[in-house]
Amino acid sequence: MTSRDAILAAVQAARPAAVARPDARRPVLGAQVAPDVAKEFMEAALVAGARVTEGRRSDLRALIADAYPEMGRRVSAMEALDPLDVSAPTPHSFADADLFVCEAVLGVAENGAVWLPDSRLRHRSAVFLATNVLVVLDRARIVEDMHAAYAQADIAHEGYGVFVAGPSKTADIEQSLVIGAHGAKSLTIVLVES
Amino acid sequence: MTAPSRALPVLEHITDAPRRDHTPIDHASAAKTFNENPDRVGWHDAAVWFVREKRDAAVAAVPEWEALRELASSIKEHTLSRLDEYLVEFERNAVANGAHVHWARDAEEHNRIVHEILVARGAVRLVKSKSMLTEECGLNPYLGARGIEVVDTDLGERIVQLREEHPSHIVMPAIHLTKEEIGETFATHLGTEAGNSDPLVLVGAARLHLRERFLRAEAALTGVNFALAETGGIVVCTNEGNADLGAALAPIHIASVGIEKMIPGAAELAVFVRLLGRSGTGQRVTVYTSHVHRPRAGQELHIVLVDNGRSAQLGRADFWRSLKCIRCGACMNTCPVYRRSGGHSYGSTVPGPIGSVLTPGIDLVKYAALPFASTLCGSCTAVCPVKIDLDAQLYRWRQIVTEKGYAGRAKSVAAHAGAKALVHPRIMSVLGSVVRAALRILPSPVARMLAGAWGKTRDLPIAPKESFASWYRANRGGAPTKGAPR
Repeated sequence: MTSRDAILAAVQAARPAAVARPDARRPVLGAQVAPDVAKEFMEAALVAGARVTEGRRSDLRALIADAYPEMGRRVSAMEALDPLDVSAPTPHSFADADLFVCEAVLGVAENGAVWLPDSRLRHRSAVFLATNVLVVLDRARIVEDMHAAYAQADIAHEGYGVFVAGPSKTADIEQSLVIGAHGAKSLTIVLVES
Repeated sequence: MTAPSRALPVLEHITDAPRRDHTPIDHASAAKTFNENPDRVGWHDAAVWFVREKRDAAVAAVPEWEALRELASSIKEHTLSRLDEYLVEFERNAVANGAHVHWARDAEEHNRIVHEILVARGAVRLVKSKSMLTEECGLNPYLGARGIEVVDTDLGERIVQLREEHPSHIVMPAIHLTKEEIGETFATHLGTEAGNSDPLVLVGAARLHLRERFLRAEAALTGVNFALAETGGIVVCTNEGNADLGAALAPIHIASVGIEKMIPGAAELAVFVRLLGRSGTGQRVTVYTSHVHRPRAGQELHIVLVDNGRSAQLGRADFWRSLKCIRCGACMNTCPVYRRSGGHSYGSTVPGPIGSVLTPGIDLVKYAALPFASTLCGSCTAVCPVKIDLDAQLYRWRQIVTEKGYAGRAKSVAAHAGAKALVHPRIMSVLGSVVRAALRILPSPVARMLAGAWGKTRDLPIAPKESFASWYRANRGGAPTKGAPR
């Protein structure tokens, strides 16, 4: 008997009486939707340690330059920002990136997280290797909570996707919060009008 | 601040398969040792309680919190009640996604599978993100003894690895250490300035040190927070970004998954993601919540499904609900015993209330003391995001431990004597008079000595003038009805 069959047989023999699958969608929770999700999102992103700026999509280059004026190597996964090069032979080649720019599919008001799947990252490693990360988010793409986020995101459609809430952090030394553990040392979200 | 490159500490001398030791854990003695330094105990207690308070604040901001807990509990109970079907569904979808799925009955088989994957591809440098499962399996010493360089990349886990210790908490592995101790460790191993214990400096040094390890790793191993049966994906939650750095860079990604991590799909995942960060650290969500369905181009993804005693626990009518656990650590942060005895006193991979419920099922003799490392106050049950009845399970394990004769002679004798007194009103009445008299007459130090372990660190109560029975006769008339006050 293979280990697979042995485990499955043991689990089947052990499993408790059937419990029905509950409805996990939000309405069963009776939660109230906040009147202004963009405002709620900005507050939550700040709590998570991100910076938030607002502007127009047509001013994106200026907004990026304002947020990170002096950056050495800038890498962008956004089509609209051509000089920022994302073509790279290996995932390791972003190790010296000072800034990585990409656009989120959606933002989550309850916790300030942004959804970044493969197609928006181009390379999975860049958003973790770059010292600073700037995420563009369309104001109209903010949802109330994780229930709505997962209902819209279709997480299995792409090979990889990550919710990012704020810069990388740790409190492993005496519960002292330190920003910039292994990943980004800063995260700026630029909310744009469509 | 630079961290000069140093050779990794050699792990080979750590003995292989350390978990085969069946010597009973003496929690009380270990806790006593921890308490020899009152400053440390006070500091540890406060640090852990601070996390409980952050949890409370985060929870208070979610009006539907109780509905979420109830839902999470029933999702887990549903999934566990059909676990074999969900495992098969997960495997089918993960394989269709391009992952390799492996099955391990126990720790030994898990370690062998991981080693074989590495050997077949000539990989000797492994970076590992937080995984209590690989800690449970003793993977580090197993691979170390076979020439694989294993680097734990979660900061807390790296700290305890450099010190050749084990995590003392499942979310905050180094919570038992002061920053001065960590500063010393880093001065020795990472070349930081001796005497510098500024967390900012230490984290900066660790970042440089581990960046180098990430970039040269030939394989990355991650734990898994949730496995999605409907889509064959795995979900990993971290604050540091270490799991993603490992998996996004290395040509091989191995994910070790306990079979109880299964949930149906994305709709259910939303419920758990909302609960996990808030319960664990008071964050609304962890910084990174990563979803891996397919390896990146040119990468191999291996998923190892591990039983290691979980199917046996599933078959225990009184304890199967412990498998609902999502490893948030809230039960530890709130536990008055954990906070004052430290995670190492439990002698198990998972300490605290949930550890004391899980471990007796793995080795009843070794972990017989753990169900007693509790006041049964029920605070753990009150904060558990998946509503595990921890205090009830601790109490049930106590009964089993005592029935099997592992409770220790003093405890058994006292329990039997107590049981006798409680069912014989006359004995109870006489004992009551004797104790009341003793409390009045004896000097406090003598009375405390006679009270055994209880009196060692506590003042004894002031004796009431009379028994409840005599008060009742005088004030309510007649004897209390036998068996009435239930």
